[in-house]
Amino acid sequence: MIGIIGSGNVGANTAFFLAEKGVDDVILYDVMEGMAQGKALDMMEAAPIRGYRTRIIGSKSLEEILDCDIIIITAGAVRKPGMKRDELFLENKKIIDAYALKIKSPNTKVIIVSEPVDLLTSVFVKASILPSNQIIGLGGVLDATRLRFLIASELNVSMENVSAQVVGRHTDDMIILRSYCSVSGISLESFFSLDQVEKLFEKTRQAGSLIVDLAGRASSYYGPSAVVAELAEAICLDTGRLFSVSHVLPGIFGIKDVALSLPCVVNKTGISKVIQPKLSDQEIGLLRKSADLIARTIKEADHA
Amino acid sequence: MHKVSIIGAGNVGATAVYYIAEKNLADIVMVDVVAGLPQAKALDYLHAAPMRKYSVHISGTNDYKDIIDSDVVVITAGIPRKPGMDRMDLMKINVGIAQKASRGIAQYAPNAIVIVVSNPLDIIAMVTLKESGFALKKVMGMAGVLDATRFRYFIADELKVWPGDVMAMVLGGHGDSMVPLARFTRVGGIPVDELLDSSTINRLIDRTRSGGGEIVSLLKQGSAFYAPGASVAKMVEAIVKDEKRVVPVSAYLRGEYGYEGIFLGVPVLLGKNGIEKIIQLDLTPDEKQALDQSALGVKKGVEELNTFYPRR
Repeated sequence: MIGIIGSGNVGANTAFFLAEKGVDDVILYDVMEGMAQGKALDMMEAAPIRGYRTRIIGSKSLEEILDCDIIIITAGAVRKPGMKRDELFLENKKIIDAYALKIKSPNTKVIIVSEPVDLLTSVFVKASILPSNQIIGLGGVLDATRLRFLIASELNVSMENVSAQVVGRHTDDMIILRSYCSVSGISLESFFSLDQVEKLFEKTRQAGSLIVDLAGRASSYYGPSAVVAELAEAICLDTGRLFSVSHVLPGIFGIKDVALSLPCVVNKTGISKVIQPKLSDQEIGLLRKSADLIARTIKEADHA
Repeated sequence: MHKVSIIGAGNVGATAVYYIAEKNLADIVMVDVVAGLPQAKALDYLHAAPMRKYSVHISGTNDYKDIIDSDVVVITAGIPRKPGMDRMDLMKINVGIAQKASRGIAQYAPNAIVIVVSNPLDIIAMVTLKESGFALKKVMGMAGVLDATRFRYFIADELKVWPGDVMAMVLGGHGDSMVPLARFTRVGGIPVDELLDSSTINRLIDRTRSGGGEIVSLLKQGSAFYAPGASVAKMVEAIVKDEKRVVPVSAYLRGEYGYEGIFLGVPVLLGKNGIEKIIQLDLTPDEKQALDQSALGVKKGVEELNTFYPRR
């Protein structure tokens, strides 16, 4: 059973994608009474046409969700045009802290989608009794998905043929690993000039903000929901997907206690393995700077 | 709806039909010389349709005229080598089958893209190209997609990751001299040599080279058909959906990679026009040497072919 906390656009679409894929039954929850039940019912009424057999239930009680195998947290405020993800931190930290104390079932895997994701994942792990490899923040894999779209569109090749890895923070200073981007295994240099590559990378950094600006009232949710459904599927079906996700680092590159994205193998245990990418000194420096910033922001919040 | 014809209703052909139907890619015509066999398999598939819910039409025939106006034709027809059979005798029989198929395709489906699966692959593709008189980009052999999917599976199995996250490139002729390129093989974008040591990679490459043989020796009689059928369906999908996939296929080369006038496995852009582009990789001297070796094998096959073909 997969529990989703927050039945806004990201939460509801994640439930929708999970149903279409037939991953597992879903319980939706929202603090706003009626919303989860309404959306769940709407989705179930589409089932005869779409042919999915998974059940989607809306619940008004958080208790029903706490024992789920996977809990996806999408609750919290979202960005408005011109806003940076970090500006949501203090408001959403309270929400995450509260859930971290309530989610105690020892085998539960937690996927955090609320922003700013690296900060909130760090905060959750600090407050939670669960092992940190069971707590996953949606991070680089979303940025990598956007980059894959941009590369495939630019070259007019199949998106499935394009792979990419993005590590570090899920903010404008994400670290895109050029040597890990490829088209059917062939490096980008075979297709683009360095200048073109840099333009695609810059577009990737701004991709989330572009959607906020275009949509006006909502931040992106189809991309995030699709990636979250994929993560939940990797856990449920024990597939061992290789995704760059945010998680508290166990001392890699000298970084610990803060969450950043690095490539990981995701299976039924949560994060089963972290892959240490080959980074340049400059990239390692940037990663450490991001880690310091996260540590400092959390410290300030604790003393605020 | 697109139309795909499969020449040869044996295991590879019929399994390709299964994957094509399940994805609702195209209406399908199965052609075979054996009376009743393609009709029976087509009907059997249609009986399963209410449960499996595919909506494409599937039919079986012994007459080439039913492939009329196909968008894609797949040639799987051919006989396997029997114990004691001479290599040349086998080649002669399969060339004869391919000749007949190619003429049927040229007559009834002149705009089709042709995927050759019958062995010896790189030779049968040559015969198909000549007999059909089709443009070079419209005739190709299926080999690299199959060799790569085996290599991908072996890597995924070794690393305990999802096979879909592994990308691999296998060039050269379809045989023991195929050239799996570790340098272009990645897991979620990460080069495989950062995840596995070189002796493990070499072991997996060797297993890939003998991947078909491993199945043959397990089955005792017959050869692989699930992965070959899936590979055919993947190529059909790339063409009918115009996916522009970067995949290795056996393509007729005119100077690319330094080879002239042979079919050899190279990366191409595969879309609705067939081979829309041949992609040139920068190979290291070692990789080029392995590819040379593979090309040499194909050239030898072409010389054997030339001893009896074309017969005027």
